[in-house]
Amino acid sequence: MMAETKINIGPVHPSTHGVLRLVVTLDGDTVTHVEPHIGFLHRGVEKLVETRMYMQSPSYMEKLDYVAPLCHDELYVSTVEALLGVTVKERAQWVRVVQMELQRIASHLFFLGTVLNDIGQLFTVFMWVFKDRDLVLRLLEEGTGGRMFYVNMRVGGVNRDLPPGFAEHACKVLDYLEHRVKEYEDYLNSSSIFMERMKGIGVLDSRKAINMGVTGHMLRASGVEYDARKAHPYYIYEKLRFRQMVENGGDCYARYKVRMREIVESIRLVREALHSMPDGDALGMPIRLIGPLPKEKEVVVRRELPRGEGMMYLIPDGQRPYRLAIRAPCFINAYTLEHLPVGHRLQDLFAIMASIDLVLADVDR
Amino acid sequence: MILMEEPPYSEEQFLNSKEEMDKLVADSLKGRKEPVNAMFGKLSEIAKALASGTVTWSRRNSMWPLQFGLACCAIELMDFGSARIDAERGGYLLFRGTPRQCDVMIVAGWVTKSMLPEIKRLYEQMAEPRYVIAYGECATCGGPWWESYNIIKGIDQVLPVDVYVAGCPPRPEDLFGAMMKLQEKVGGKIVENKV
Repeated sequence: MMAETKINIGPVHPSTHGVLRLVVTLDGDTVTHVEPHIGFLHRGVEKLVETRMYMQSPSYMEKLDYVAPLCHDELYVSTVEALLGVTVKERAQWVRVVQMELQRIASHLFFLGTVLNDIGQLFTVFMWVFKDRDLVLRLLEEGTGGRMFYVNMRVGGVNRDLPPGFAEHACKVLDYLEHRVKEYEDYLNSSSIFMERMKGIGVLDSRKAINMGVTGHMLRASGVEYDARKAHPYYIYEKLRFRQMVENGGDCYARYKVRMREIVESIRLVREALHSMPDGDALGMPIRLIGPLPKEKEVVVRRELPRGEGMMYLIPDGQRPYRLAIRAPCFINAYTLEHLPVGHRLQDLFAIMASIDLVLADVDR
Repeated sequence: MILMEEPPYSEEQFLNSKEEMDKLVADSLKGRKEPVNAMFGKLSEIAKALASGTVTWSRRNSMWPLQFGLACCAIELMDFGSARIDAERGGYLLFRGTPRQCDVMIVAGWVTKSMLPEIKRLYEQMAEPRYVIAYGECATCGGPWWESYNIIKGIDQVLPVDVYVAGCPPRPEDLFGAMMKLQEKVGGKIVENKV
């Protein structure tokens, strides 16, 4: 047995996806213990929100998960809606679903780029993926007016409806993306580096996954059928046909596979939603309008975010929140960093970290 | 590990020899009334000007940014380096992982109190001349987190910032513009980039 070595990774490191610090204990090249240090991005969102009126906060919520801002925006606004007892307009529900699924595609493409960047010399795919992600962002920009932060949700509806000609443009982009995703998969399946570094690495079995409380692609890759869109349907998800993607491997490859299949499924979802979208009014209440007083004492809303299941718990105090608690999916998925890399080699730590897909702003809040 | 060899002279000897050298040079220049070779003097002047111009020119056209992202703006930073914007055509080469190889630090994201010492350390590790770009509102002035208890209200309270970029987050094209501004600041005439 060799002497144990302790090394420090981060907080500034090209592979930690933000500012995460890991203190890794090594036995030779084998990881025996990992100690994550978080909190480098903590800025006290939950406290800040308490000093704002309800509709002043969506912008803060978008910065929780900056790779998929629109989904967090929607989660917060629907929490406020549940509190005020407002129902969302029929067309607005469809618009929201279209935009959320587009955001999911963009977020998953981003994951693909970073995971390949982290496991070795596959920077090429990173370039391709960012080009494709930009096309999706362009679509969202067309619909909402923002490139990265949208703040498009309003109480009871959306700020901007989809512009005329959006469906044709979106279908063109989606056709292209479907073709591209297939290309990526063919390319990566034939890459022996990729397969060697992803298969059998960081296995999380289903029982452990449930015990640790992980959600999203981590849980589904471990063979547990759970998707908040199916388990607690909201909006029009009941009307749309889609499958929840489950893999049984539990390793990095399964997590990647779940993501890739979800992209294809989301493309299908958007296409179907655009096809069968009803006409009508989708605009919500203007932001300056002081909303009705809260009807509920406390609410919990859960949504399937691209990185797992997000929840918000809100207690009102007149026109301001008394307390907003956020269940950040990344924070709970980050727990697995302590357990998954143990027994693997140091370079596998980065593959595992990339496959968990942390957004550190969501972890630290 | 490389061990430095002990120099063959003591510090005192070294200082003395320096003084002696200075005296010798001063003595040799005393009796002289005009430069030895006017032509040679001109040439060296020209060479000096050329050399400093070349240094500035090469410094300006090979700005290497540090691969260092804090928050949301880091995503746009990645986009800046990827296919659509293609930072390399402006001379902002690959993002480097170590500060020792970098010229520009792009502070992209909010700066928390716990992150501040790390950023300072990174900046100190960079070789001079070094430049800082405050990218986005959080790095410029604290942005939306102005009232937060854990945020530094702008990186310029700690580091000397050369270019500020406004926006939340600014588009990657804005960063390209900021880099061009920085090039102007470094010196020399700029051939207009056709974006």
